[in-house]
Order: sequence, then C-alpha cells, then structure tokens
Amino acid sequence: MSDHSSAMAPAPGAEARLFLAIERFPALTLYLKFALKAFQKQLAYKFEYFVGVANGLLFIFIFTSLWKNIFDTSKAAADISFSRQGMISYAVFAMIIRISMSQDDLGVMGKVRSGQIALDMIKPYNFFGATLAENIGGTMFHWFTRAMPILAVCMIFTSVTMPRDPVNYLLLILAWTLGYLIYFMVNFLFALLAFWIVETFSFQLMKYGMFTLFSGGIIPLDFFPDMVRPIVAWIPFMSVLYVPTAVFIGHLQGAQAAGFILFQAGWVVALGICCALTWRAARKKLIIQGG
Amino acid sequence: MREEAGIYLAMIVASIRAKMEYKASFLFLFVALLVFYLAQVGVIVVVLTKFGDIAGWSLGEMAFLYGLMVFSQGITTILFGSLNDFESQIIAGDFDRLLVRPLSPLMQILASNFEISSIAHFFIGSTALYYGSVGAGVEWTWQKAAYLPVVMTGAVLIQGGIRLSVAAVCFWTIRNRSLVHIVVYSSKEMILYPITIYHWGMQLFLTLLLPLAFINFYPSHFFLARSGSNLLFHPFIQYLSPLVGVTLFAGAYALWRLGVSRYQSAGN
Repeated sequence: MSDHSSAMAPAPGAEARLFLAIERFPALTLYLKFALKAFQKQLAYKFEYFVGVANGLLFIFIFTSLWKNIFDTSKAAADISFSRQGMISYAVFAMIIRISMSQDDLGVMGKVRSGQIALDMIKPYNFFGATLAENIGGTMFHWFTRAMPILAVCMIFTSVTMPRDPVNYLLLILAWTLGYLIYFMVNFLFALLAFWIVETFSFQLMKYGMFTLFSGGIIPLDFFPDMVRPIVAWIPFMSVLYVPTAVFIGHLQGAQAAGFILFQAGWVVALGICCALTWRAARKKLIIQGG
Repeated sequence: MREEAGIYLAMIVASIRAKMEYKASFLFLFVALLVFYLAQVGVIVVVLTKFGDIAGWSLGEMAFLYGLMVFSQGITTILFGSLNDFESQIIAGDFDRLLVRPLSPLMQILASNFEISSIAHFFIGSTALYYGSVGAGVEWTWQKAAYLPVVMTGAVLIQGGIRLSVAAVCFWTIRNRSLVHIVVYSSKEMILYPITIYHWGMQLFLTLLLPLAFINFYPSHFFLARSGSNLLFHPFIQYLSPLVGVTLFAGAYALWRLGVSRYQSAGN
C-alpha cells in the first residue's frame, strides 16, 4: 500500500519541512494529509452540519417511538431477547454508529466520469489507500461533530445510559473498525462499477435500500423470521451496524460476541481480496474520454 | 391559453423523450426504485411478522397506509420532481432565462423535467393499496371509491406545496439542498407508521405545521372505517385532506410569487 510514496523527491524552500516529514514517515504522513484534508472540507458546510444533526435526531426519535410503542402494546414483546430499555438503547446506538459511518459515493464515480482518475493513477500513491484515508478523515469528523453531540442529546433526553464495563468499549472499537472497513470496501466496490457502467445512481439506490433493511440499523438480526435469519446473517451489511451495536450494549457477549467479530474479520479479508481484484480489472478497463 | 398549454405539452413530451433515449438506464432505475421501496416495505413487514401490529394497526392496515403515501408520492414526483433540484438553477443563473420568456416560470420548470421513472411508485403503491384493502377487509362503497381520487389530489397538493415552499426558500438563501433532504425526504419516514406512536407534540406538529398526517394517516381512517385513536381526532378530520392540500398549496404558491418578485440573479 505504501510502496510508491518514497518516489517523491524532496523540494527546496518553504515546503522543505513538509517533505522532510514525508521522507521520515513516507507513507503515513501522506495518507494523514488526505485524512486532514477531508476533515477540513467537511468544516466548510455549517448549515449542512446542523441539518445533518437534526436529521440524525429525527431518525432516533422515530425508532425509539416505534419500539416504545411496540413494547408497551404488543403481546409478542414479552418473549423476545431484548428488554424495553435494551431495545431503546439498541435503536439509539445503532443510529449513532450509522451516523458515524456515513459515507457518500467516495467521489470515485465523479473521478471516473471526468477522467480525473487517470491523474490519481499516475500519482505516487495507492488509490485504495488514498480513498480510505480520505474517508477516515470524513468519518472522524462525523464522530466528533455529529455522533458525539447526538449522543449527548440522547443521554439528556432519553433513558439511554452508557455501559459500565470497559470490555464493552473494547469490543465496540474492534467491531466498529471491522464494520467500518466492511462498509467502506462494499462502497468502494460499488464505486468501481463506474468503470463499467456510466449511470451508477441506480446501483447506489439499491445498495441504500439493502443497507436500510439488512444492516441492523433499524431491525436487529434477532427479529428476522427463523427461515431467513441464517441468510440475512451472512449479508456483509449485518456486520456493519448490528455487530458493533449489539456488542456495545451487551446484547452479544462472550463467545457469541467473539464469533460475530471473527465473522466480521473474515468478511474484511474476503472483501479486501475482492477490492484488489476488481481494482486490477478496472485499471485494465479504463478508457479516458477526451481530456 | 390553449397555445400555452400546447407549449407545456411539447416540453413535457420532449423531456420524456430525452429520458427514453437511454432505455437501459431508465429500466434499470425503475428496477432500482422497486428494490429501494421493497426494502422499505421489508422493514415494516419484518416488524409486523414479529410483533403482529404497530399501535393497533395490522399488516393490511399498514399496507393501506403505505400505499396512500407511495402512490401520492409517485404523482407528486411526476409533477413536482424538478423542484427538488431548483437550487442548481438559481446557482447557475438558469432561472434568469425562464423569466424572460412569456410563460409562467413555475410551469416551465415543472414541464421541463417530467419524472416518469415514478411509475415504480404506482406499481408499489397500487399493490400496497390493493393488498391493504384485501388484508384489512375494506368494503368498497361508491363513496369510498369517489373519495379516493379526492384524497390523492389533496395528498399531492400537500406534498407539492411543501416542495414548492422549500424551493422558494432558494430565492432568499440560494442554497436549500439540506432543507430538501430533511423536509422533503426524511420527514416522510415519520408517516410510514401511524402517527399515534409519537409524542403528542409531534402529532400536533404533523397535523398543524407540517401536515403530513393528512397524506395518509387521517384519510385512511375513512377507508378502513377505523375509529379515531389520537388526541386531536374528531371524525371530521378524515375529510380534511383536500382542504389542507388546497390551503397549503395556495400558501406555498404565494410564497413562491413573493420570491420571484424579489429575486435578484446570483449573476454568473
């Protein structure tokens, strides 16, 4: 992933210090810059920001209302694996984790269409790494500026409490990172479709629909009918939101949690291989239309 | 008047033909929309299979509620779809060009981008309405059959009025993308469910300020012969959708006119 960066020559003058840093930690500094740039870009849109927060709170409001109502009125609610409080926590944390991971189309499609992708290819960095770094920057921004304030609001206005056990936090970090990588790589694969298909909006729409239903963002895996649950569990989206949320609130514990996290890791490896192969095929396929 | 209608018709036909040029991507968008809405339905179906009902609404009744929303959304998207992207016309200065023509600027915008991919909405919407009325055992009388198109008109006017007001905001702020996102799209997630699941403050909000409850919640009481269950319910409220629609749309159109009159081009 880092093999190309050392090809960069040091420049004289004002930028010398930066390049000195790049010389010392060639790969890391470069990718760190990508992440910082994405973070700064996000800062530029203030109004978008407030609406984004309001949007997140709206969805939390909808689903906490839904579950409260179901647990208060439905007879079937008595014999399920979640308590009323557990289900409210699930709805809140699933949505917060979803917000922390929000990604757009990674900008790859626009680059393919405009031909800018060719410039990215001749630059001395790994394209996958650069896109990931950029995405991590945006994601960190979402964590601090969206997920955290929304969490604070929820702590004040809902009955949600944070888990006491540090193990839950460790599991969250692990499962969140793996879930994030899975989500990123699925998005990356979808974005690479732009090499073969000009109009990719339809694919995005389908992916979004599938994600809504099968990520656990709204419905936890446990609620799917017995017939389809094993299949749904295999869909990589279930690893994105369900696993981090369930291990954090303590719904999945011990061996069960470990099993799900191992499963996530398996998906990370599989998708990593898919990304590498698809990227290789895409490079061969690339035709730049004009200049 | 007749001549103008002819021009708008020609514009509509041209925009449909432009879209049909790309038959494959049109078909694909249709399929994608089906998948998207089926996933939305999937969420509700999974919850209902697990728990039986939501706030006393059975699967059939929920389907009817959903059908009213999606079908009217389909008509709204066909007629008012281009308003969601009005921001880009203001930013690029394209709106100036519409003003110098001897035609209504609003009609030009609406006719120039006729969104026919929303036949996917009609497909999903009518299936949901059909399944809903069978599942919930709706007895269709001629009153109900006659009231359905009236309710649809009201629902379309409500949604069109909301889109028009949000677009009019552009005259003051130039940008409105995030507003479109939350007011036009996200807010609709609320009426996927009967509004009685929400805090009474939100029920009031959805009745008086952003009257989305008149799109499906209140009128469906009439078709499903449900007795009222929320605080604000008066039997008469199930007939108010058309009135709310006309009022809201008139207000939105007044706001739009005001915006046009004080519009100063962003320049380019």
